[in-house]
Amino acid sequence: MANKPLHPFAQLAISIALIAAVVIFTLFIFRSPDRLGPIAIATLVITLASFLTLLILRHFVLVWFSYLHQRELANDAPPDGYPFVSIIVPAFNEAEVIQSSLGSLLELRYPYYEIIAVDDGSTDGTFEKMRVFEGNHYGVQVQVFRKENSGKADALNYGIRRARAPIVVCMDSDSRLTPDALRYAVRHFRDPHVGAVAGNVKVINRHNIWTKLQALEYIEGLNIVRKAQAFFRSVNVIPGPIGIFRRAAIEGTGGYDSDTFAEDFDMTVKMLAEGWKIHYEPKAVAFTEAPEELLDIIKQRYRWSRGILQALRKQKHLLTRSSGTVTTPLSLWYMIFEGLVWPAMNIFANVFFVYIALIFGMTKLLVMWWLLLTVLDVLIAVHSILMEGEDMKLAAYSIFYRFFYILTIDVTKVFAALEELVGLDMQWGKVARKGRI
Amino acid sequence: MRFDWMNILTTIIFVSIVVTLILAVASYFAYKVREARRPKTAAELRRDGETKAFFTPYQPTK
Repeated sequence: MANKPLHPFAQLAISIALIAAVVIFTLFIFRSPDRLGPIAIATLVITLASFLTLLILRHFVLVWFSYLHQRELANDAPPDGYPFVSIIVPAFNEAEVIQSSLGSLLELRYPYYEIIAVDDGSTDGTFEKMRVFEGNHYGVQVQVFRKENSGKADALNYGIRRARAPIVVCMDSDSRLTPDALRYAVRHFRDPHVGAVAGNVKVINRHNIWTKLQALEYIEGLNIVRKAQAFFRSVNVIPGPIGIFRRAAIEGTGGYDSDTFAEDFDMTVKMLAEGWKIHYEPKAVAFTEAPEELLDIIKQRYRWSRGILQALRKQKHLLTRSSGTVTTPLSLWYMIFEGLVWPAMNIFANVFFVYIALIFGMTKLLVMWWLLLTVLDVLIAVHSILMEGEDMKLAAYSIFYRFFYILTIDVTKVFAALEELVGLDMQWGKVARKGRI
Repeated sequence: MRFDWMNILTTIIFVSIVVTLILAVASYFAYKVREARRPKTAAELRRDGETKAFFTPYQPTK
C-alpha cells in the first residue's frame, strides 16, 4: 500500500527548511574571510576557475558540434519515399488548445498518415472538442478515444497500441506541428539503427518578457545542445511536443513508464540503453505554449528537474555500464552535469562574485570577468538565432537571460534536486493553458 | 562632476546579482506556498482516498 502523501503545509515546511539550510550553509561557507584557511581559499579559487573553464569549453564544444551537425544535414539527400505515420495526441483538460492542435495536424504536407487522439479522462469538455475531428479527412483517418485518467505515459501507450504505422509521432496536445515537420523527420529512419528523431520545439506565445526569454532558451539552451548531441546520434531528451519514433523501438522498450515525471526523458534513456541511435531534425518544428508567468515557469521546471532525476535514479545502473552504445553513459552523465552540477556551480559562482565584491570591493577584474561571460552569452545567442533563422530581436534578451533568468531557473533546479533527494511528494504540476497556439 | 562608468557598471552588476538571488529564492518560496494552498484536483482526492462531494446528489422521488 502506498504511503499517504504529506499534508501540503507539511511539504511546505520541509521546503522552507531546505531553503533555510541552503542559505545558512552558504553564509557559513562565506563567513568572515579571516577565518577561511588557505586550503578553503584555494578550494574556492580552484572551483571558480573550473567553473569558468567548463563554461567556456562547454560553449565552444556545443557550438562546434552543432555546426558539424548542421553541415551534415545540409548535404543530406531527400528520402526515397514516405512511410505511413501514426500521430498520437494524448490530452488531459486541454479544451483551450486541443482544436488548434488537431487542426494543425490536418494541414500537414505529408501523403500518408493517421491521427489517434486520446482523451485521458478530461473534465473540461476536451473529449467533445476532439470528437468534432473524428472521421476521414481527405484520406487522413482521425480516431478519438476516451479512457479513465491515468497519466500521460499511459495515454501515449494506449494510442501506440492502436497505431497501425511503423513510424509513430508522439506529441503534446498544447503543441502544433508545422506543415513540413514529418517530411523532414522521416528521412532519418533510412538508417535502420535510428530508433527516434527529436523535433525542434519553439515557443509560440512570445508576447511578454518571460515567454521571450523562454523562446531564447529553447533556441540557445535546448536546441543547440540537441544539435551537438545529434552529431553523435545520442540526443538525450526527445521532447514531449514532438518525438518521432520507430514503433519497433518503442515496443522493444515496453512503452512509456508512469513512474517518473519526465516520461519523455525516461523513454529516451531506455532507447539509448537498447542501442538505438537518436537523431535530431531542426526542420521538424513544433510550436508550443510556454508558461507566461514566473511562478508557472518555476512549476514547469520543478517538474522537469525532478522528473529527470527520477529517471536517472531509475536507470542509474547505466551510468557505469552500457548495454547499448558507448555514448549512453556519457549522455546520462551529461544530464547530471546539466541538471545538477551546472546549476549549483552557476549559483556558487554568483554568490562567490558577491562575496568577493563585499570583501575586496568591486575590482575591474571582476567586472571584466562578468562582461566576458555576458559577451560570450550574446555571441552564442546570435550564433543560435542565425542557425535557426530566428528573430534577431531575441538576441537583445540574452543580457536579461544572464542577469535574471538563468539564475532563477538554476535556483529552482537546485531546490528541486534537494527535494528529490529528500523524497518529498510531488504532483504532476499541470500549467494552465491560455489557448495561444 | 565626472562620471565614473566603471563604478556605475559595477554597482549595476552587483545589485542585479544580489536582487536576482533574493528574488529567485523568494519566487521559489512563493511557488511552494501557492502549491500548498491549491485545492486538490479530483484525481488527487481519489488517490488520497478523500472522494468527498461538495454537495449531496439530488435524488428525485417517485
